[in-house]
Amino acid sequence: MYEEEKKDDIWEKLGNFDVRWMFLGCIVLIFVPMIWPLGLPTIVSQPTKDYYNALVDLPPGSILAVSFGGGFGALDEREAQFIATFKTIFSTDLKMVIYCQVSEGPAVLEYIIGEGTGLADPLKYGKVYGEDYVRLGYAPLGEVGETAITTNIRSMFSTDYYGTPLDNIPMMENINGADDIDLLWADYGACTTIEWYIRQWVVPEQMPLIITTLGCCAPMAAPYYPGQLIGFLSGSGMGTELEITSGNPGPGARTSDIKNLAILPFLLYLLLGNISSFGKKYMR
Amino acid sequence: MIIWDVIAAFAGSFLTLSVLSMLWKDNPCFKFGQQGIIGIVIANSVLVNMKSLLDTGIRPLVAGRITLIVPLVFGVLLYTRLSKEYAWLSKYPTSMMVGVGTGVMIMGTLRGQVIDQVKKTILDVFTATDAMGTFNGILILIGTVSSIAFWIFTKEHTGGLGIVSKIGRVYLMISLGANWAGEHVWYLTQVLARLAFVYDNLIMKVLLGQG
Amino acid sequence: MSFVKRDLPLIILSACGLMLLLNFFVPTDIGNVVKAELTTWTVIIGCIGTFLGIYYMTISQWRLLQQTKTTIQYFYFATIFGFMFLWLAVGLYFPGGVTSPQYLWLQNNLYRNQSGMVYGVMFFTLSSSAYRTFTIRSIESFALLVGGVIYMLRQIPIFPAIWPGLLPLGEWILLVPNVGGGRGAVICAALAALVVGIRTLSGREATMMEVQ
Repeated sequence: MYEEEKKDDIWEKLGNFDVRWMFLGCIVLIFVPMIWPLGLPTIVSQPTKDYYNALVDLPPGSILAVSFGGGFGALDEREAQFIATFKTIFSTDLKMVIYCQVSEGPAVLEYIIGEGTGLADPLKYGKVYGEDYVRLGYAPLGEVGETAITTNIRSMFSTDYYGTPLDNIPMMENINGADDIDLLWADYGACTTIEWYIRQWVVPEQMPLIITTLGCCAPMAAPYYPGQLIGFLSGSGMGTELEITSGNPGPGARTSDIKNLAILPFLLYLLLGNISSFGKKYMR
Repeated sequence: MIIWDVIAAFAGSFLTLSVLSMLWKDNPCFKFGQQGIIGIVIANSVLVNMKSLLDTGIRPLVAGRITLIVPLVFGVLLYTRLSKEYAWLSKYPTSMMVGVGTGVMIMGTLRGQVIDQVKKTILDVFTATDAMGTFNGILILIGTVSSIAFWIFTKEHTGGLGIVSKIGRVYLMISLGANWAGEHVWYLTQVLARLAFVYDNLIMKVLLGQG
Repeated sequence: MSFVKRDLPLIILSACGLMLLLNFFVPTDIGNVVKAELTTWTVIIGCIGTFLGIYYMTISQWRLLQQTKTTIQYFYFATIFGFMFLWLAVGLYFPGGVTSPQYLWLQNNLYRNQSGMVYGVMFFTLSSSAYRTFTIRSIESFALLVGGVIYMLRQIPIFPAIWPGLLPLGEWILLVPNVGGGRGAVICAALAALVVGIRTLSGREATMMEVQ
């Protein structure tokens, strides 16, 4: 008799709450801000400000190397970062040398900065390929590829992505390796990848480093910040912060808006779990 | 609206909802969406690596960089692992890859991930400009020392080491919690972005003819 | 024969690694040339080896099919190769390859939805597991809950809008206790990697080159 009563009490019911109600609640509350946007403000954090300042404080004509690791799978999380960063760079007089360290990188890059079609179209900023930026293609094998590039870019890439010999590209005339680069922007999707850049760029070449990455990778990048890492963006939220800081509105604002209500069922679910646990332990 | 936009809206929405159907239960629709990813990833990898091989290996070789014959031959040797009799030949390219990868990894590890980290941990305490900075520096120092103690497995965690490693565990749990939270919000972003695709493209553009 | 089969590969492994290390500690022009060559060679070998992926994927799917010869299993088999050949065909046929508008259409409208939603489904999986994981049972689980929830709330605009102090608190969690814990992990992982690396270069981790 006592065992049956124990199973039916409120604490047990709370502990056995059907998770599918939480799923349904999250999905419904995702659509609400889509239809009726909330428009809440976003506050900008210090790492975002440092990231932005690292870009805009560079003297005109400085060379920025971009190790691009964007893929379509997680593009929703980083699209805002990419668009805002490229727009910021195109608004300055920086020169960019871009290479990819993931196989989806070239396609994502074309999607973001394709001439005439990209979401951050360089033509709209008057940027000329070969004079303001160069795309070098895919450098496989991660850290080993990075090492090859820091030593001698031409050992890895004798041509750019489109097959033009590097020696025929005006911008690449005096760019041979890490010594000719002023800032490295590294983008990656696997949390331990930051170690590649610390080992191959920061330690041997004393290279200033900024990164963009997924939201879950910020805790692993934080030990290097500030110091080895000047600034970072992690997740779509910080992408939204950069949109605000740089004055380049993009997809991040809407994504942040929709998140506001969708998380509430989960938090309620978490609270119920803890109330159930507390009740079973202390209230019986 | 052109036909490809309509096809994109329907196909993309179908794939999104088919993967989402996993919430109900594992079903063929979900598997269809999931299995397709394997094929796509392999195809993309093959395409991009083919181009990379042409640009980095074959074209420079044809242009006169003779030394590139070595990696091309070694690369072909990798395929000998498919033969039981000659599989030992694939150890040569593997050993080069492992050797270079290990050398490259060791190069910056000691300075970048050990010495510089220890230096920063100590200097943060003494170079802080205000009381809060010093307090934070002390907390980081305690956390670093205690979490290192947690990873000592050659001595039982009792007595002083036990107390220190327990403090380290608390710090590591906070770190894990932050990592978990970052992942959770990332996955939430993915859900809402994909559902936004369904809403914007299928519902609003195709079905309601707006936008 | 054991020299050719076992010792020579180990010599190559150690020589490659040591040459790179030597150049790191004593940089020279010839050392830089060797470093650039070795790393480029490794990248090229890696490129060529990628195509083995097709073989291994085919074999594993074939074995799966042999175990359960059902209609649905044939369907899954056909799905993988159907998608693969479609993407290969578009990537090879249209000018521009993976940057052609046609390939980007496929990637952005089909692949992005599939793979993005696979990540998205993990939101629900993590959420349902959090129900048990994040109950307060000890000081460690309390730390896990506090660190996780505060850092999560910091990323959702509605909560800093309600209480602006949440943003600096979330940043403090990230940049102080998380760094304390993370730095210890970074140092220990680096020391462990160094040990394994040195053992590999000295030939004591021969399992790295075992061929199965």
